[in-house]
Amino acid sequence: MVNVLFLDAPYSGKVELCQETLDYITKFKKVALYASVQFVGKLERVEEQLKEIGVEFVTSKADRTSVKSQLLGCDSYHDSLRLEDDFDAYLYIGDGKFHPLALVYGQKDLKEMKEIVRNDPLQEKMFLMGVDEIAGILRKYRGSLVKFLSKSVVGVIVTIKPGQEQFRPALALEEKFPDKKFHYFIDNNVSFDQLENFNFIDTWINTSCPRVGFDDQEKFQRGVVNLNDAYFAAEILAKGSVLNRVSKKKN
Amino acid sequence: MTEKLYQVETEKAIAKIKEVEAKTVCIQLPDGMKPYANEIEAELVRATGVRVLIWLGSNFGACDIPLGLERMKVDLLISWGHNKFVKRVEGW
Repeated sequence: MVNVLFLDAPYSGKVELCQETLDYITKFKKVALYASVQFVGKLERVEEQLKEIGVEFVTSKADRTSVKSQLLGCDSYHDSLRLEDDFDAYLYIGDGKFHPLALVYGQKDLKEMKEIVRNDPLQEKMFLMGVDEIAGILRKYRGSLVKFLSKSVVGVIVTIKPGQEQFRPALALEEKFPDKKFHYFIDNNVSFDQLENFNFIDTWINTSCPRVGFDDQEKFQRGVVNLNDAYFAAEILAKGSVLNRVSKKKN
Repeated sequence: MTEKLYQVETEKAIAKIKEVEAKTVCIQLPDGMKPYANEIEAELVRATGVRVLIWLGSNFGACDIPLGLERMKVDLLISWGHNKFVKRVEGW
């Protein structure tokens, strides 16, 4: 195995809440505070500001991270945050939408979606995120869940990336769904342009990065669901959840 | 270069190259830093004389490290933009 050195590339500038965020966030009693790796080492001022305006905060060390309060793009299933406390909204510190979108996806199976307040230290601006960001994807995703339950021949995509490979958990599908035929496909990055060559596949299951099942949903003409949603597809479809509610709404 | 916004920390990279006495390193950069690969390469070569191979492909996270580097006799992979990843073996 090759030696590996990870360098965080931490943000050089000041990390603090802009006035717009400070004004807005006082409507919440308690927020859940997260940041991407470039900002997570400089949250002291943000924590001070929250105390000054009387907004409580909670945070956690997510399963796959090395430090507290860090959010990864794959934290798109709420339980991976390991956050037990109750709170009113998420407060995310960082630039870009990729990481905080995980917090939106992570709430798809809940009754209600908590708002995500994104404070961008580079632009010194606040952005609000919610279900509207992913409504179209969720509609397709729900369709893929229905398809998975009704189809018999399923292609299971397994990556060879050691950090993402989930072959063993994927094999458990055979026990849970003995009437379906599963074919296992291996790849490094998912080769979307190859999917249609395997025309005997009715629908797909993604076991690589969970964001592939969401963000790349439209690249799968026959639909795709993430592995852990496949296990519980029927239960997910029966819930009074954001996913099911949003799918019933017309565009 | 990107040093203004994000700390590239080439001094840490140089120290590691010297520590493991690497002859060939692979550098893996997030998309925002890829335009500066030549500058990072030049700095590493100047300080250590190492051969630098630039990873062309993705850098989605610490879960996404290049495969097959041994075949290219790479002694050290330096991956920017992420920290250590803890894989959940039982799935997501």
